[in-house]
Amino acid sequence: TVTSSPAEQQRPANLSYLKLGKVLDSFLDMGFSHAEIKALFSVQPKLLSHARLALVSELLLLGLSTDAILKALQKSPELLRMSPNHLKDRADLLRKLSFKEGSLNHMAIHCPSIFTLPQSRIEAVKNLLTEKCLFSTQQLSKILRTCPNVLLEDLDHLEYKFQFVYFRMGIKHREIVNSAFFQKSLAEIKNRHIFLERLGLYQTPDKKGQTQIVNPKLKSLIRASETDFVTKIACSSVEEYEIFKKLLAREEEPEWNKDGTLKVE
Amino acid sequence: KKWAATRPKLSAIRLALQNFDINYSVQFDSLWPSIRISLLSEQKYGALFNNFSNIQQVTQELEHLNAVDFIWESQKVVQDLASTAAQQASEPAMLTGTLAVSAEPQLQPLPCLSTLISPNIKCYTFPKGDLSLFPPARPDTLGILGYYLLDAASVLPVLALNVQPGDLVLDLCAAPGGKTLALLQTGCCRELAANDISASRTGRLNRVLRSYVPQNICDILRITSWDGRKWRDLEANTYDRVLVDVPCTNDRHSVLEEDNNMFKNMRKGERQMLPMLQLELLVSAILSAKPGGEVVYSTCSLSQLQNEYVVERAVELLKIQYNIEVHVEDLSIFRRLFQGTFSFFPNCRLGELVLPHLTANFGPMYFCKLRRLE
Ligand SMILES: C[S@@+](CC[C@H](N)C(=O)[O-])C[C@H]1O[C@@H](n2cnc3c(N)ncnc32)[C@H](O)[C@@H]1O
Repeated sequence: TVTSSPAEQQRPANLSYLKLGKVLDSFLDMGFSHAEIKALFSVQPKLLSHARLALVSELLLLGLSTDAILKALQKSPELLRMSPNHLKDRADLLRKLSFKEGSLNHMAIHCPSIFTLPQSRIEAVKNLLTEKCLFSTQQLSKILRTCPNVLLEDLDHLEYKFQFVYFRMGIKHREIVNSAFFQKSLAEIKNRHIFLERLGLYQTPDKKGQTQIVNPKLKSLIRASETDFVTKIACSSVEEYEIFKKLLAREEEPEWNKDGTLKVE
Repeated sequence: KKWAATRPKLSAIRLALQNFDINYSVQFDSLWPSIRISLLSEQKYGALFNNFSNIQQVTQELEHLNAVDFIWESQKVVQDLASTAAQQASEPAMLTGTLAVSAEPQLQPLPCLSTLISPNIKCYTFPKGDLSLFPPARPDTLGILGYYLLDAASVLPVLALNVQPGDLVLDLCAAPGGKTLALLQTGCCRELAANDISASRTGRLNRVLRSYVPQNICDILRITSWDGRKWRDLEANTYDRVLVDVPCTNDRHSVLEEDNNMFKNMRKGERQMLPMLQLELLVSAILSAKPGGEVVYSTCSLSQLQNEYVVERAVELLKIQYNIEVHVEDLSIFRRLFQGTFSFFPNCRLGELVLPHLTANFGPMYFCKLRRLE
């Protein structure tokens, strides 16, 4: 809710060119401040104002806050081109994936394209995560809530990322979900994991899930700040880690040693 | 489709790592993780400058890459040592003993570094932390290659051998020939005998030398394929300088390559016999040296068992069985000279050991110098 000062109640002259008194009143009624309304209108300025109003009302009905709406629109202006019906359908779908109001707000702010993505895309991600990677529906919804970026990632890449953490790092589904693993880029995860592995501080569990050393928890491994990771978890130095990252990047370029530079005894 | 399934780790590599984790974590304690990651990451190279090629062109080429000759660089260290020595004029004896510092050291480009290390060897490297790569060497108009890429640390044993003009030199385990080539660069060998038990490997040595050394220089060279352990019966008391770069667990290779890996199950016996073979080769090397001659023993392993222990046993054995006194020389000056380029292990009881480190990923290279007393 917006507490507006008397000064704000007066319609600023610079909005008068909109000649849209009624629309403006509706926005004010919805709880937008003048400043917010101005910002709202600067997104896709050519859009007809009643279309704008309809769409924003729809978003408000989904339970989004004015703040979330504004941020979502600024981040993803194409939202304004959606039909209200599409938006309704999408909201239904998201609710089925157990998004609640709070998480919808979060989603709108952090991944507004969730509303504009084609349905088939969302379904493809859902199928990948549940059918190929064998996450439960509950786990899927938690992944979508905590790591909405998965919806935008290339599917092969996403599958590779899962296989990396599951097979190579030996982490089970629960821990993958609870650590918000999918938020992190594969490059960063690989850097950290392989750094530890080569230092002798991380081992892929054997078939029985056993290791000879105690691996650091996935959560602390990926959540730690870079300095904490290097000094506390890896017990190494930033200098070494910087060099290591460059070397690893070079190793991962498939062709790097075919130029003969390593033709050495 | 499984891209990221557990990397297929074959058995020899895994065995090598297990073995190292157990032994080296004791030997190196908290240093081991940083050595381990370096062994498992891309190694750094040096470019051994070929004095028999078009010197000007190659120098230009290497300097254009911003590589520096680490041996030349070390003379700055010598100068620093010298000037501190000059300042401490009250007690100049300390450093002059080893370095023979003159009164005006700054005027001389290399104040007697040549009494300390084999002369004329140049090896270009990129500074610590610089990950640039050398392009492959190109043949000049005569078909001679301008530089030889190798682990820069493997030049250190050759430098330590301190070859002097007119020396008779033996390289007992020479193939594929990086160190032989470095020995030839000194221009000091009256004769150089390069031996390796493996005929196929001496073949390779031959091919290497042919692309680096003009025919007339090859005349001072004699290449043989004998068992180095027998050398003492063939040419005892003969050489001024002997390099014995023994076969070892080749630690870097063992954690990276399945091929030709010492930790293969079927090579277990051979592996267990290594220290014995190394000892016999070192003893043979010392017996092939003249009284007063100098021998450098080297390995590319971190293992104390293959390094200090072999040296100690050899000294003991020569004393007891042959009544020959051998003096283990102090090489700590190498640590001071080259610490800008390499990471040295500070706690070797005998000799020096270059530890792989991500900022200077050379080695491992152990080298120890022994002098046969008159
Ligand atoms: C570490 S490599 C030498 C590398 C060489 N010095 C260089 O710098 O290129 C060890 C060599 O010892 C040889 N070798 C093994 N047993 C030997 C023996 N009994 N006598 C002589 N050479 C032997 C191997 O064939 C191998 O080429």
